[in-house]
Parts: sequence; structure tokens; C-alpha cells
Amino acid sequence: MQYGIYIDQNRCMGCFACVVACKDWHDVPAGPASWIKVKTIEKGKYPDLFVAFLPGTCYHCAKPTCIPACPVNAITKREADGIVTVDREACLGKDKCGLCLEACPFGAPQFGSEENATMQKCDLCLERWSEGKKPVCVSSCPMYALDAGPLKELIEKYGNNRDAVGFESSEVCAPSVIFKSKKNRNLSP
Amino acid sequence: MDTKTDNHEEIIRTICNSHCGGNCEMKVHVRGSKIVRIEPDDREGRPRMCARGYAYRQRVYATDRLLYPLKRTGVRGSGEFSRISWDEALDTIAREMNRVKSTYGNAAFLHFCSMCDPYTLHSVGVFHRLLCQFGGYTAPWGFISNEGAAFSAGITYSTYRRNLETEHSPDEYLTSKLIIMWSWNPVDTEQGTTTPFHLARAKENGARIICVDPRYTDSAATFADQWVPIRPGGDAAALMAMAYVIISENLHDKLFIEKYTTGFEKYRDYLFGLEDGVIKTPSWAEKICGIPAATITQLAREYATKKPATLTTSIAAGRSSFGEQYHRAAAALESITGNLLFRNWQSPPSKNLKFNTQIPSPPNKVEIGVPPRRNALPFRGTSVNSSARVNVSLFSDAILKGKEGGYPADYKFLWLSNTNYMNQLGDVNKAAKAFQKLEFMLVTEQFMTATARFADIVLPVCTFLERTDLMAPRTGRVLGILNKAIDPIGESRSQLQICQALAPRIGINDFPDQPDEQLARNIVEQVSKEVPLPEYDTLKTCGIFRVMTDEPQENTGKKNEIREPQPFTTPSGKIEIYSSVAAKMNDPLIPAIPKYIESWESLNDPLAKKYPLQLITPHYKLRAHSQFDNLPWLRELLTQKVSINSIDAASRGVINGDMVKVFNDRGEVRIPADVTERIMPGVVALPQGAWFKPDKDGIDYGGCANVLTKNVTSPGGAFSPNTALVQIEKVVD
Repeated sequence: MQYGIYIDQNRCMGCFACVVACKDWHDVPAGPASWIKVKTIEKGKYPDLFVAFLPGTCYHCAKPTCIPACPVNAITKREADGIVTVDREACLGKDKCGLCLEACPFGAPQFGSEENATMQKCDLCLERWSEGKKPVCVSSCPMYALDAGPLKELIEKYGNNRDAVGFESSEVCAPSVIFKSKKNRNLSP
Repeated sequence: MDTKTDNHEEIIRTICNSHCGGNCEMKVHVRGSKIVRIEPDDREGRPRMCARGYAYRQRVYATDRLLYPLKRTGVRGSGEFSRISWDEALDTIAREMNRVKSTYGNAAFLHFCSMCDPYTLHSVGVFHRLLCQFGGYTAPWGFISNEGAAFSAGITYSTYRRNLETEHSPDEYLTSKLIIMWSWNPVDTEQGTTTPFHLARAKENGARIICVDPRYTDSAATFADQWVPIRPGGDAAALMAMAYVIISENLHDKLFIEKYTTGFEKYRDYLFGLEDGVIKTPSWAEKICGIPAATITQLAREYATKKPATLTTSIAAGRSSFGEQYHRAAAALESITGNLLFRNWQSPPSKNLKFNTQIPSPPNKVEIGVPPRRNALPFRGTSVNSSARVNVSLFSDAILKGKEGGYPADYKFLWLSNTNYMNQLGDVNKAAKAFQKLEFMLVTEQFMTATARFADIVLPVCTFLERTDLMAPRTGRVLGILNKAIDPIGESRSQLQICQALAPRIGINDFPDQPDEQLARNIVEQVSKEVPLPEYDTLKTCGIFRVMTDEPQENTGKKNEIREPQPFTTPSGKIEIYSSVAAKMNDPLIPAIPKYIESWESLNDPLAKKYPLQLITPHYKLRAHSQFDNLPWLRELLTQKVSINSIDAASRGVINGDMVKVFNDRGEVRIPADVTERIMPGVVALPQGAWFKPDKDGIDYGGCANVLTKNVTSPGGAFSPNTALVQIEKVVD
């Protein structure tokens, strides 16, 4: 079974509710580590503009490149749900290693500002599923722009579009994410 | 210690109590005596919190929380304080209150309390009760947020509309074919997260959305099919030219006009130039507002024909030199096209409960027998209309000028409760001068704000998670208990506790002395005599309890007919495009029909040679006014900058991220430049709410917008922070 994420880019308004809710839930201090981030894509010249937002997190890839990159096998893909987790105690740290960050095309591995910080990242809120709750980014979004669950079910519900404005997929990794993409507007040259 | 108990998380329900306009329900996880995380309400259809709500734990445990009473040891504004006991603080305050009262009388007391704690037991009502029992005080009038809208609604309909901030209820969007969002950025300002959610759903339903705004806001990015950039101060002109097009092309709704309005002919004559020789054509408006005439014509035709259409003229553009004329022009346009819906703002009646849920108070003796002020609105009642009051936006002017400047009294004692007015009202540097003139200044606060730095005594107030309060509007339709999650941090106390401790020291022996939760229980008991409510202890677990379960909370959009309105209480009984109330005010700057009045500090002002850029001071998505500016989780997401179009930046040799100075005769701010395509050339935006951080020369490095704004109101009483001229230069070091 593979769990995945759905993102409705049309609804995302760049409010950062998911980012802060995630930091609060997982007690991640202010600093460079953030398990979910929202980027802004801006195009065009005044007054002909296009702006989109895109939340980005670990996509719990079908073929995660971070796993073979890790020299100490600190990263695991769970059999039951395909969620990719990290053993922070085993991790060698960013200064000594950092190979997972190089391997991941999505920038999912996160590191705090401390010296030789160990890797942390989205675990799709493992413990919340056991309480019957969806990940905190999903249940915090005021726009109901996010969903998560078994990928098959998500595809049945939302279709199987794999593109979004500002998203570069990776065939090697096969990320478990589907989108409702924002329509790119044609801008005058 | 039993680790099992130690790890147990209790979930306390409450309602986020911030100055944003939302009422988002909150589940606070408490382990032992500590808040460990905050979750949204997960029930279907409940508003979910924004980033600020999720960051609230950092506010409670902020390292800069005020934990003890402080007394000033340096000069006012130096920020030098020493810790004192509550007894010493309260005794000092009481001594000063008694002295000022016997020397100058009660009118010498000014008290302001913002809406940052807007509910029942710790809000303005508790201070009002204390000060009225003390013999009265000078109270404020005027909504800082929306006095322009209130004034317009007051003279046009003789009532507030239900949602004063936007004049529309979110469910109206779901039924609209066209939505015009005028100077409205709900993605950042929220007013409850259900509003942007409804706009998203409206768009999914096929509504066409147009944003009219000097900025390509995040709302424009998320919702707009078309962005129409507009110059600040040009809003009324653009709306009038739309009305001109609609009437010229015979697209107006004659039936609606005839049945529900009065004064249409006079307004039409003004639009057609019969009054002043100026025809309010799109070409006329283009010169003022910068929108191409053809676009104005297009907007007008669409708005008149794509029905149902919703025109949301937000209160931002109304916070300007003649803000009420913009709102009046919008009201006229809604009426003449028949797009005005009655269902959401005229009914239900605002007061269903006989029981007054607010803390009762004797009358304010300072206001008794005092005539109403010139621009009073009849429906507001004698107390708010009293000329003994001071417009809140003019507090520093009132302190500086007093009776000599035409104010009703000389002000000696200022008490500010959870309000950083120095930071949040026009002309920060003028406020600093005003504070020096006072005999005593008391600030009750959570943080050492720019304002608090000037206080003689600062009292630490706890956050709403450290006390009990009640959401109990007089409509009787909802009731919510804001449960206390933890004990107050440090020696901080609730607003109610502060008033309770002060009361006996200033000779009041019958102030409510019960703890907040007991008072909440009493109120619930009274309310439940009138509407069916569960027991208090059940209510505690409900979040916001909706009494009227038979009434749909959300209009599903099946019906869209115009409901017959109840009779208006205006003198004519109709919507007054020509306002007989305004006519009686006999002030050319408050005309009886909506008019375009050229502003001070417009681009035609000679001052524009020196300061050629128009400043706007929009809301910022990670603050609620000045609240939350100090939280690390929020600060790291965006940086306070001044937005400037790439054309204006290039002509000044400024590139993105450069440190620039933004200045005019009132002050100077140094801040990085956000060089962007997302703002109209000639306009710059500095989001309001960032904390004033002056250096020794008074130059602000915090990015406080009100360093640059003027301390003056519109003729109707609106705060005017979106009317200001500035210049920007690169800082060369």
C-alpha cells in the first residue's frame, strides 16, 4: 500500500497555515527546518501577471532516492503504507554526511540550524493516522486544499494529474503526489 | 511521578481571541500545566484557524511576555523600567486617579481599549464599568477599521450592514455570477477563514472575479480573472463613472430605484455635470484613478448585466481622507443596479435577547447633558454620539491640543488597554509628543510595545488562553465559552482581575467580584432562560454552540430573489442616495449626495513634487494589526518590506532587497525594498502593524507604516492611513 498527498493548487492562497500548524504539532522550532513549505511562483510584467502558490513536502516516493543515498540506512520506507521515515539517532548529520539532501530532487530532507543537525522531515503525521486523523497540514488548511490517504483512493477521487505550476516531478523517484493544477495564464510577451 | 499522567494531554476548547475579525475555534492541548500544541476544530463546516492561530503557543510562551508590573525609571519613551509589586502598582495608579479626578474632573481621563479582546468579561465593557462607577471618563467614538463604511451606511440606510467589514455575507458569493473585489484582500485580512474558502467555491461554481486594487494581492493571485490596478484616492471617482455609464446606457434598475431609494435624480444630475459642470465620464475618472476609461466602461456594463453580481467594496479604501464618499458611491451603485440584496444584512434583528450579556454599567457622567457632535449618526444613540467623546483616531491630537484646540477637555490621564495606538494610528512621532504632555499614563499589555514604553506604569495582562471568557452576542443565536487552558504566566492577570483589584482602591465597593468563570456561569444561566442551551459544563466542550439549529448556517445558493426589506429607519424610510441626515450637517465636505472630493496629499498636491509616491498601508497576513509581529514561527515566513514597482525602483537606482528610506515631513522608515511587478507604478505599500523601532535620531527600523501617515480623519470620522505622500531613496552607507 502506498499513501500519498493531494494538492489543489487553485485553492492554495499562500496563507502558511499548514506550515505553522506543522511546526506547532511536531514542535519544530523556528529555523530552516520546516516539514512543509509553500513557495510562490510569480510571472509576467505589470500589469499582466500570474502568481501561484505551491505547498511542498516529502512525497513519500515509490522509489525514494534518499534511501540508497543514506550510508547508515537511517531512512526507511514502511511496508504497510509506503511512508518514508527517518531514524534521527542513526543519522550522521548534515555536516558529516548530507547525502540524502543531495539525492532528493524535492528538497524534502530538513535540517535545523544546529551544528551537524540530523535529518528530519514529514512523516505524514504517522501518529495521527492511528487516532483516525489526517495529517495536520490537511486538517489545518482553511481552504481544504490538501488531502492525504491511500494513493489509489486519492486518484479515484481526484484523478491522476501529476503536474502543477512550479512542480518538477521525477520519474526516478515516482513521488506519491497528485494535483489539481492551477491554469497557467498566457501572458503577453 | 506517574509518567502516564504526565503524558496525558487534555484538550481544552476555546475560540481564538485575536484582532482579526475571525472567531476560529481552537483545540488547545495541555500536558500538565503547559500548552503543547494547538489544533483546529475538525468538525465539518467550522472555520479553521490561520497561521497566527497555530502560532499562538509562541505568543503565550514568548520570551518577551510582560510578567510583572513595571514602573518607569527613565524619561518617557526610554523604555527604562523596574519591577514592582502589584500592590505598589495598583496603589500608585489609584493615587494618581484620585488626584487627577479631584484636580481636573473626570473628563481629564482618556481610556482606550482595542478590539483585541473582543468578547464579554475582559473587553471594553469591564473598563467602562469601572470608569463609569469612578464618575465617568472621556470615551472614544469611531471605528478605526471602518468608520468610513459605518458613516456611509449610517446616512444611507440608517443601520449598519450585517457584515460591516465587507457589507456581504460569505454565502452571497456562492450565488454570484460576478464578484468585484474592490480594495479587498481577504487572503491576508481573513475576517474569518470561511471568506476566502467561499470565494474559492464561488470561483469553482463559475463566478467571474475581478480585483480592483493598487496591488496584485494574494487574493488577486488566488481568485481574480482580471486585475484592475487603481490609484489610491480614485475609488469614488471610478465608482461614479461606472454609475454614469450605467445610467447613460439605460442599464439601471428603475424598479428598484423607484421602490427602495430616494435621491436618484439629484445624484444623476451630479453625475451628468448639471451641478458642477463636470460630467463624471470614464475619461474624467481615468485621470483621477488611473483605470483606462474603456476598462471602467467594461466594469460598469458587466456589473449592471451579469446578475447576480456582488460588489465588495472593502473598508481599506475607506480608510482614507474622504473614505465615506467611496463607500457612498458604492452604496449608490449597488442600489441603482438593483444588486443590493437585503437578506443578509437587514435581518435578522440584531437583538433577540432581553438579557444584556455585557457587563452592566451606570451611565458615563461625562457625557450626560452634552449635545451630539456635528457629524453624529442618529441611529447610534446619545452616548456614542456625544460631543464629549474623542474620535479614537485623533487621540494624540486631542492630548496635544485639548480645549484650546476645540476638544471638550484637557486630557491628563491616559489609560490604554491592550492597544498599541502609538504604532497603529496616524503619525507615530506626534503620539510620542502627546505622551510627554500627560500627567500620568497607564498601559495594560502583554508585551513592551512602542506605546507601553511611554507608560508610567505597565501592568502585565494574560492572554485569553489563561482565563475564561464568553462569546455571547445579544442575537442569542450562538454562545461559546472560551475556556481557560492554563494559569496566567508569571504575575500576569486578566483584564477583569485588574479592574477588580483597582475598584476598591478608587472608592468602588460594588464592582463584580466573582471570578470570570462564575460570571460566565451566571450569564449562561440568564441566557438559557430565553434560548435553549445545554448545561454550562456541556457547553464548555462545544466550542461555538449554535442555538438556531433549524436555520441553515450557510446559504446553499438555491434562492437568490430580492427579499422585501423591512422599512428603513432613515427619515424617508428608503435607501437615501440623497441623505437628509448629511444635508443637515451643513458641511460641504459631507455632501448630501455622494461626491468625489479631491484629497489633500493627492498627486495634484504641490507636496507631490517633493514626495511623488502614494503610500498605502495594507494589512499583513502574519499579523493581526500589531499582534503577532514578534513570533519567530511567523517572522521567518515573510520579511517586512516596502513594495515598489520595478519602474519606480529603477529610476531610483534601487534593486530588490536594497535598504531604502521611506520618508516625508512626518518621519522616516528604513527598510528593505520589495521590488515587484505586483504594485501599480507611483504607489508604494508598507504593511501596517510592524513594531516601531526608532534609533536615537528617531529613524524607524521596524517598518512601522504610521511613522508616515497623518493624524487626521475624514469629515465623517474615518482614520486615513491610506492617504499619504512619501519619497523613497536608496540608503547609501
